[in-house]
Amino acid sequence: MFSKTIFKQTLRSNWKLWVVFTAIMAAMSALVIAVYDPKMIQGMMDMVKDMPGIADMMGDRMDGMTSLLGMLGQSFYGMQGVILALIFVIMTANTLVASQVDRGSMAYLLSTPIKRTKVVRTQAMYLITSVFAMFLVITIVGLSTVQLAHHGLWGPDYSKDVKAASDVLNLDRDAVADDLTLILNNEAAVKAGAEARGIQEDVYTVYLNQKLQTKAYEAAAEVLGIDADAVTKDLSLIKNNERALTAAAKVLGLEPAVYGATLEQTIAQSSLSGNAAQEMQAKFMAGITAAAEVLNVGAGDLATSMGKIKDNPKALTAASEAAALVPAQMFPEGTPAGVIAEQNEAAFLAVINGQLANDEISLDKGVDFSVKDYLLLNLGAFLLMFAIAGISFLFSCVFNLSKNSLMLGAGIPVAFFIFQIMSQVGSSLENFKYLSLNTLFDPGTITGNGTFWPQFAILAVLGVVLYTLGITVFKKKDLPL
Amino acid sequence: MSVLQIEHLTKDYGSGRGVFDVSFEVNKGEVFGFLGPNGAGKTTTIRHIMGFSRPQQGRTSVSGMDSWEQHYIIQKDVGYLPGEIALPEALTGTQFIKMMAELRGMSDMTYTDSLIKKFELEPSGGLKRMSLGMKRKLAIVTAFMHDPAILVLDEPTSGLDPMMQDIFISFIKDEKERGKTILLSSHIFSEVDATCDRISIIKDGRLVSTFVANDLRHSESKTFKIEFASKEEFERFREQVEYPKKLEVISVKRHRNQAKVLTSDADVNKLIEILAGYHLNFFSEIKFTLEDYFMKFYDRNQSVEGSAANAVN
Repeated sequence: MFSKTIFKQTLRSNWKLWVVFTAIMAAMSALVIAVYDPKMIQGMMDMVKDMPGIADMMGDRMDGMTSLLGMLGQSFYGMQGVILALIFVIMTANTLVASQVDRGSMAYLLSTPIKRTKVVRTQAMYLITSVFAMFLVITIVGLSTVQLAHHGLWGPDYSKDVKAASDVLNLDRDAVADDLTLILNNEAAVKAGAEARGIQEDVYTVYLNQKLQTKAYEAAAEVLGIDADAVTKDLSLIKNNERALTAAAKVLGLEPAVYGATLEQTIAQSSLSGNAAQEMQAKFMAGITAAAEVLNVGAGDLATSMGKIKDNPKALTAASEAAALVPAQMFPEGTPAGVIAEQNEAAFLAVINGQLANDEISLDKGVDFSVKDYLLLNLGAFLLMFAIAGISFLFSCVFNLSKNSLMLGAGIPVAFFIFQIMSQVGSSLENFKYLSLNTLFDPGTITGNGTFWPQFAILAVLGVVLYTLGITVFKKKDLPL
Repeated sequence: MSVLQIEHLTKDYGSGRGVFDVSFEVNKGEVFGFLGPNGAGKTTTIRHIMGFSRPQQGRTSVSGMDSWEQHYIIQKDVGYLPGEIALPEALTGTQFIKMMAELRGMSDMTYTDSLIKKFELEPSGGLKRMSLGMKRKLAIVTAFMHDPAILVLDEPTSGLDPMMQDIFISFIKDEKERGKTILLSSHIFSEVDATCDRISIIKDGRLVSTFVANDLRHSESKTFKIEFASKEEFERFREQVEYPKKLEVISVKRHRNQAKVLTSDADVNKLIEILAGYHLNFFSEIKFTLEDYFMKFYDRNQSVEGSAANAVN
């Protein structure tokens, strides 16, 4: 099938280019991973959201960027990694066949008792192996960087607050991470945890409760053997299943009956009509606007840093008054104004705390790193390059002159890349995506639970067809040697 | 027995380029010269013999095997020296020799080492920085290292210094002694003249002449140049000899009182008898060379008469 001798010679002639490109790409991906900071990215995203022009331009790319993998997918695997690999593939494919025919050095290989097909198959083999090895190195370097910069890849990882709280509780970190109620039930532990996270205690308590709730849903989902998202959408699933209810209650450290009652309440609340939810939202925004006036900042700025309202009593009062979250009919006639104000303030605070706790949870998700998704990302990039290398290789086999081989072998892949970029820029150019092979590898579908296996299969099959075609053409053509 | 067979080979590259209905064969143990200027179709023909190109019409075969279909089998017995040397630049000479030996499945390197010595090759350096002459020598060594029975040489001495050219020509002669079949394409008359048994001349993609080299070397007719001592003598010669056609006078140079006379070996006494009656400055034979013969096909102004007409088969 392959000639070891020719492979060795090809390796000797091409390894330097491979090393240069692989080193640059691995370093770039490692840099993107190392400097990733979920807090900073979130801040940036919030800023961008306030600038409609830029937000439109970024489009749906913004959503992906709030996690490390999403960020990698949008930057490295959407841009730098692709263009660099593209250049490498174009240069190598041309060197492997067309340039050797053009220069005439192919004559030596063909004046030995080696079949033409064996020569060209060996060259194809080198191209595929080099691209594979390139992404293998990038993957290994990437995983190592994740471990070094963000931890948690190998061995258990504990967030800062769990570490601090378990020190206070004098308990094993594993035990604390498994049962967050241990922190909740100890004032000193809550204090230490909040400090470690750099948030207020009340926000931290809400955060812990939200986390526990998610874990409870997950436990229930496991019992039910379904996806956690499905459970979150339809809580009656838990309530109607004894075992699921018990499992979820256990996580929260509650009696199943008690948890059942709580669930019922939550279900009732969530069944509130969309109007009511919208009304609540409008009221809350009115509160924010009032607070912004007091604090003399933009409402948009304030929405992203609601902690400021809590720090300023005057702002809080103004906000809760303006929002009046508790409906007036809830109060019996003759309730003193002070009580109403107090209740409204408490309600407003609860919403703010909920929001702040949500921010914390999305920060946790930001550094959440799925090795499987990362491997899929690299597999996808490899398959894309496998197919594109097939194009360049085919033209390298078809043409006897380097310049002709490059014209199409480089021209088409570069055009694909440009079409992909164009299709992302504006919706009027969106149809360009059908003209590009690059759109078959969409990092967003991997990090965002989209479909990608069919596209991967197309890339793989297309690559195989292109290489086979190239080899067949080379076998049958006239060589000017 | 013919080892290389080219039968009605046609390959049209368009605008008159290519080869058209070329047929010849090279027999076992024969050195066959393939003579023509650049662009006449020599390399195209060799491309087909080596199996790099597929004929449009006709076929080429080596030891009875089709060049195109069985290109990898014929290479076992063929040593090919390309006209243009393009070596893989990333290797050193030693690595290149080792690679070619591996591709040919060779393990015994004693013959290769003797070739390296004979051609004074220094293979240790990188191919990128090697001089053209050194690359040539390296190509020669790798073409012959497996001691093939058939040698296909495309302008083998270009780029070699005169000393190396001599060594190469004597090497070809030795190989011929050892019974090798050799196809030598060239536009250098001396090397073809010195080595070849038979010669074909190719012009604009067509064979114009194929002949046995010895017929040309030992032609029975000869050309003599005669210069007369005076104008009177010259005019007398023309009156008495040229116009009555006693001798075959090919050309005259009046201002120098010279005449060129063609005669066969049998008639040479008659020529001397006639010339005895004149005052001459000198009398010399003009050697008819391969170059003269070759030029006849390329220089249309020159008359086609000449001794070589006898040499053409």
